[in-house]
Amino acid sequence: MNVERNTDGGLTAWFAPVEVELLRLATGQLVELLDGAHGATEAAASDPAIRRLLPDAYSDDPEAAEEFRRFTADTLLERKIESAVLVRDALANVQGVDDVVPSQTQSPRPDDTDSHELVVIDAPAVFSWLRALTDLRLTLAERLQMSPDGEIHLEGEEAEFLNDLYDWLGMVQESFIYTIDV
Amino acid sequence: MTVTSAHPDVREEQGTDLREAVGLLRPWVTIVWNDPVNLMSYVSYVFRSYFGFTPAEAERLMLQVHNDGKAIVAVGNREEMERHVEAMHGFGLWATLAREEQ
Repeated sequence: MNVERNTDGGLTAWFAPVEVELLRLATGQLVELLDGAHGATEAAASDPAIRRLLPDAYSDDPEAAEEFRRFTADTLLERKIESAVLVRDALANVQGVDDVVPSQTQSPRPDDTDSHELVVIDAPAVFSWLRALTDLRLTLAERLQMSPDGEIHLEGEEAEFLNDLYDWLGMVQESFIYTIDV
Repeated sequence: MTVTSAHPDVREEQGTDLREAVGLLRPWVTIVWNDPVNLMSYVSYVFRSYFGFTPAEAERLMLQVHNDGKAIVAVGNREEMERHVEAMHGFGLWATLAREEQ
């Protein structure tokens, strides 16, 4: 994938069709996970991914932590759902390269992007993309059974696939951050 | 505050109560903890864009999180710190609040 800064402070990202599909599916699943937990955080707390997305606010006071979670969980989940939906829908609506309006990017398209699909992200939406990418990585890390030292404990073919996805999402996020150069 | 000529034990008790009362005025802090997932560049970005730290300060705090396992990123009253913690969780960072250590 490739990404460039736009004149309005947003980004234009070029993804291979398979990357678009993968990211669309992954964010779709994230939306479902978050939706399921919304309004039902106590039940959802059995899922380590939800526990990581809604961590304790007090490290030495479980009661205070529980009260804080009760008050903030739904709002936090709503915002996370908003970001994930934005990304999922943007990917569902990608344009083919031929449809791009030349003035939206500062420079000509990268040479190897003939088969790539294009996503234009305005400045406010960049925040949502970064947050959704983080939530995806956090969820994947839990599925990979990652311990605090970064070691992965899930084994098998699925682990390899999830790990590749996890690494790729990190690369996408890093590219976005360096490109917006806040 | 006047010095009374009360019995020494009573004076000591007043002193202890005063120390406790003043202790309640201690500010709270927001602590960001290291985690294996979040990119260093992302943590710096969050510190810059949410707290408004300069790039140098954001980098310094991010490295403190990375190297020391945690860093204090804000000081203030409990409610303010709770808002900061909520915001950090919104960004996917792991943060807690606690009373400032004396």
